[in-house]
Amino acid sequence: MDTVADKQKREDSLNGVGCSRKRKEDARFIQGKGNYTDDIKMPGMLFADMVRSPYAHARIISINTEKALALPGVHAVLTAADLKPLNLHWMPTLAGDVQAVLADEKVHFQYQEVALVVADDRYIAADAIDLVEVEYEELPVLVDPHKAMTAEAPILREDLVGKMEGAHSTRKHDNHIFNWQAGEKDATDRVFDAAEVTVSQDMVYHRVHPCPLETCGCVASMDKINGKLTVYLTSQAPHVVRTVVSMLSGLPESSVRIVSPDIGGGFGNKVGIYPGYVASIVASIVLGVPVKWVEDRMENISTTAFARDYHMRGELAADSNGIIKALRVNVLADHGAFDSCADPSKFPAGFMHICTGSYDIPVAHLNVDGVYTNKAPGGVSYRCSFRVTEAVYVIERTMDVLAQKLGIDKAEIRRRNFVKKEQFPYTTCLGFELDSGDYHTALEKVLDAVDYKGLRREQEEKRANGELMGIGLVTFTEVVGAGPSKSCDILGVGMFDSAEIRVHPTGSVMARMGTITQGQGHQTTYAQIIASELGITSDEIAIEEGDTDTSPYGLGTYGSRSTPVGGAATAVAARKIKAKAKKIAAHLLEVSEDDLEWEVDRFKVKGVPGQEKTMKDIAWAAYNNVPEGMEPGLEAVDYYDPPNFTFPFGAYLCVVDIDKDTGVTDIRRFYALDDCGTRINPMIIDGQIHGGLTEGYAVAMGQEMPYDEEGNLLGNTLMDYFLPTFVETPKWETDYTVTPSPHHPIGAKGVAESPHVGSIPTFTSAMVDAFAHLDVTHMDMPHNAYRVWKQIKALGLLDN
Amino acid sequence: MKVDLNKEFSLPGTGVQAWTFLQDIRGVASCMPGAEITEDLGDGNYKGKVKAKIGPATMAFNGDIIIQNIDAEKRELHMIGKGQDTKGSSSATMDLRAWVEDTEDGKSVLQGVATVTVNGKAASLGGRMMTQVADQMLNQFGKSFANNVASMGEGEEAEMARDKIAEQPAELNGLAFAWSVFVGWFGSLFSSKK
Amino acid sequence: MAKQAVSFTLNGKTVDVLVEPRELLIHTLRENLNQTGAHIGCETSHCGVCTVDIDGESVKSCTLLTVQTAGSDVKSVEGMATADGLHVIQQAFVDEHGLQCGFCTPGMLMRAYRFLQENPDPNDEEIRWGMSGNLCRCTGYQNIINAVRTAAKNLQQA
Repeated sequence: MDTVADKQKREDSLNGVGCSRKRKEDARFIQGKGNYTDDIKMPGMLFADMVRSPYAHARIISINTEKALALPGVHAVLTAADLKPLNLHWMPTLAGDVQAVLADEKVHFQYQEVALVVADDRYIAADAIDLVEVEYEELPVLVDPHKAMTAEAPILREDLVGKMEGAHSTRKHDNHIFNWQAGEKDATDRVFDAAEVTVSQDMVYHRVHPCPLETCGCVASMDKINGKLTVYLTSQAPHVVRTVVSMLSGLPESSVRIVSPDIGGGFGNKVGIYPGYVASIVASIVLGVPVKWVEDRMENISTTAFARDYHMRGELAADSNGIIKALRVNVLADHGAFDSCADPSKFPAGFMHICTGSYDIPVAHLNVDGVYTNKAPGGVSYRCSFRVTEAVYVIERTMDVLAQKLGIDKAEIRRRNFVKKEQFPYTTCLGFELDSGDYHTALEKVLDAVDYKGLRREQEEKRANGELMGIGLVTFTEVVGAGPSKSCDILGVGMFDSAEIRVHPTGSVMARMGTITQGQGHQTTYAQIIASELGITSDEIAIEEGDTDTSPYGLGTYGSRSTPVGGAATAVAARKIKAKAKKIAAHLLEVSEDDLEWEVDRFKVKGVPGQEKTMKDIAWAAYNNVPEGMEPGLEAVDYYDPPNFTFPFGAYLCVVDIDKDTGVTDIRRFYALDDCGTRINPMIIDGQIHGGLTEGYAVAMGQEMPYDEEGNLLGNTLMDYFLPTFVETPKWETDYTVTPSPHHPIGAKGVAESPHVGSIPTFTSAMVDAFAHLDVTHMDMPHNAYRVWKQIKALGLLDN
Repeated sequence: MKVDLNKEFSLPGTGVQAWTFLQDIRGVASCMPGAEITEDLGDGNYKGKVKAKIGPATMAFNGDIIIQNIDAEKRELHMIGKGQDTKGSSSATMDLRAWVEDTEDGKSVLQGVATVTVNGKAASLGGRMMTQVADQMLNQFGKSFANNVASMGEGEEAEMARDKIAEQPAELNGLAFAWSVFVGWFGSLFSSKK
Repeated sequence: MAKQAVSFTLNGKTVDVLVEPRELLIHTLRENLNQTGAHIGCETSHCGVCTVDIDGESVKSCTLLTVQTAGSDVKSVEGMATADGLHVIQQAFVDEHGLQCGFCTPGMLMRAYRFLQENPDPNDEEIRWGMSGNLCRCTGYQNIINAVRTAAKNLQQA
């Protein structure tokens, strides 16, 4: 006899959506049994290392490999000359440009790949690198993107001279990559000309690096007998890598197997396809043995995947009540030496046009120019969805500037301009359809939780005493889950994602996805989705990802797309199974499908207690007793093409106290409220938010990649590059509201990137707020003690 | 990474003596700790090398020295030294103008204006210490140069100077050097806040 | 380069290896002895993913020569769990969600193992300072602090 308690017990035993299930993947990691790329060892494996350029811009006069080749234990030294006959010395980028695999005649940035040495072990390879003699002729260096399109600027890309039709637009200058615009320029300009109030703020979103603790690397293994190439590599998108490797090598995709094993953090660093991978694959094909290449930390920071480097101007037109009438954003984007941004093909500036934020803005115009400089290529999404971090930064900063100019509190000006709950779905003037949201509720919840009015009173008192206290506030809207294939593709492949689920005769499940976890806990959370959909306990559901030979094609994990796209595919595939299961249940119970109802883990005949079949019963029957005409088995595949993006949002508040003598900032409080829709695993969500906030803290308060005039990257080890430790990382307070996405099968929206995207402008907002009474409207990141101290000094606040 | 340096060294000898020594390129090169001219290519072009050991790191630079100009009237030497480290990961250039001025006490001073540019790993790893390192290298150069000028004279002082030259280490003394760099850096920390 | 014979104890067993004098312990552990729990993250002793325990001290094995460990007692993450199950600290990391990508975890666990012997009853501030030589990019540390606190409590009860 079923009781309510029994139903609840069965529900709980599923460990499904909504519970803080402990992670399935932890067992191997805590026992040192993870399997990361550098852990892979194959018989006869050689080790590769890269000769790199000390110059940011130079012509290669000669490369002499003789001494290196003479060193015992060295097997090969590859240069562009070796790759040329294979037409592999250049490779296509994801952004419609090409990138040198090994420098061809010229080096374009410091640490560019010049030659690959292959040796018995990493020590010999390192010795051999020192023996490769490269003669360079230095060329004038272009570091400042603002000078890129001047008449005096040295031309960087000789391979593109005269080719003025770029991948995305006509190029205005040999160092110009693209111009990209959204919105209506003339209409926007007209509103600005007539506006009661306008503000304009220049800001630099500085160049940073995702810097996961595991660097990039691969083990390439060409099996010449079977004609099969297997590559283990640190990739957030293994299926895309397979397609590119197939296109480059001429091997059919069925002869290429890409495996992303355990990944030691990605954060966008591992989306791209890097010269080291390609050169190692060539080396393995040439030598016929496995070749391992793993970056060291300097190589990682200097060459693979920087993020940001957006030089922005945000402008708002409003009336005297602070109601926004128009937004204008101009961006100069420094893409480095090759345009190897990882964005959907049609969006060279990613989703920068989400820069209208959470606000009801009637008209806007966004203009982005991308330029080449003698810096490393990249432009990846560092824990964000394609330039959303930059977009949120520019709108949130400019909102604060407007509030300041009008003397309106920054919470109040947001309230006045929010898209209201009843306006959803709301189409922004730059073209996104925001599917859902409740911004007012989120903001008020945060203000109440921290006693915002009390904080403002305290700030007033502190200011009277000459102390520096700042309150930062941000109400952001993200766009994640790329994306609908009508607008989103990578190299022509639509940005769907996939799940394949097999229910075994005894009712356990094996499921494979096209995404790949890098710490997000997919093995745990995908199983929870299936558990809730199918009524099978998640402990009996195994999740596999990352091996292109076994998992269905997917576009990978970045831009918070796993839950919105892969998670949706998982739910839909499970529902296909459930639909078949219902037919089998009807057959077993000899009733029509309409007579059945679903309860937790079983189909029951309506109104007839005891007449029921559990999913386990049905699974067994699927292999021996199916209705006539039905094929046996119980499995389904779904390739999910989302109808829209998802739009997670949040309200963040930060309180800082700044020491006036040293510029040292204490993050007194950070309160983060996120709305990611349906919450699959609250424990994992909190963990993702803690991590994202910490990375946001790193970017805002310390990370930077300073280049000198000669194009040297000053500081590319962890001696210089800031990764917060236990000591300086603030204590985070988290909160949530739940506004499910109406179009996602289970209403989930994705969460891992919101805390990074939202926290960075919150820190800047707090820092500027500490000086706002002194008419400071903006301070560029990073807000490290030295830079803050300089600000204090410039304001004449130092006691002596 | 570019650093501009201005230096002035009081010399124990006369302006004439100092100028004579300044035109002896091999002699001048030997004043730079760890440096030597290895080949005279003629027309004011030389090949040379510099070896520096700082802590556990050894850097050996091979390079060219080009004498741009010797102005006897102004007693000024303009030279450019350009080198790449033997591992190919860094390079350095120094553009140096040095001239001799008489002083009222019958002695002289050596004035120097130099721009040092460093590229590659040396800039990435050592950028923060660049000014101090270059400064200390030039200080050691100045001391050695003064000894050389003194040794051109006669008497006890010249004798002592000749002894000092003989004792000069063949390469940069790591520990003492690192200490002087640290002292210089520490000093600059306080002076910049004033 | 001539190789040298080095003997030390690894997780209670004597191991003999033949290494070049310049070989770093992390490479000997990972490549020679196939103990890939400790990882390589920075090569400059900053990140701590290579942390092992040597003669009662936490050591970053990416900057220690293998020849320096001759005669030492080396412990790595592979030696933490026993036939009886997981170590209390390992269990606490699972229970408190103190790991995500897992790359820093072996080093983190080895540091916590030593730290909790140095300070069996730490407060949060002491945990932050005591663990600060190990970096994590995923967790924001908050749940690792919870895990170390929980482990301390459970170790004391054990």
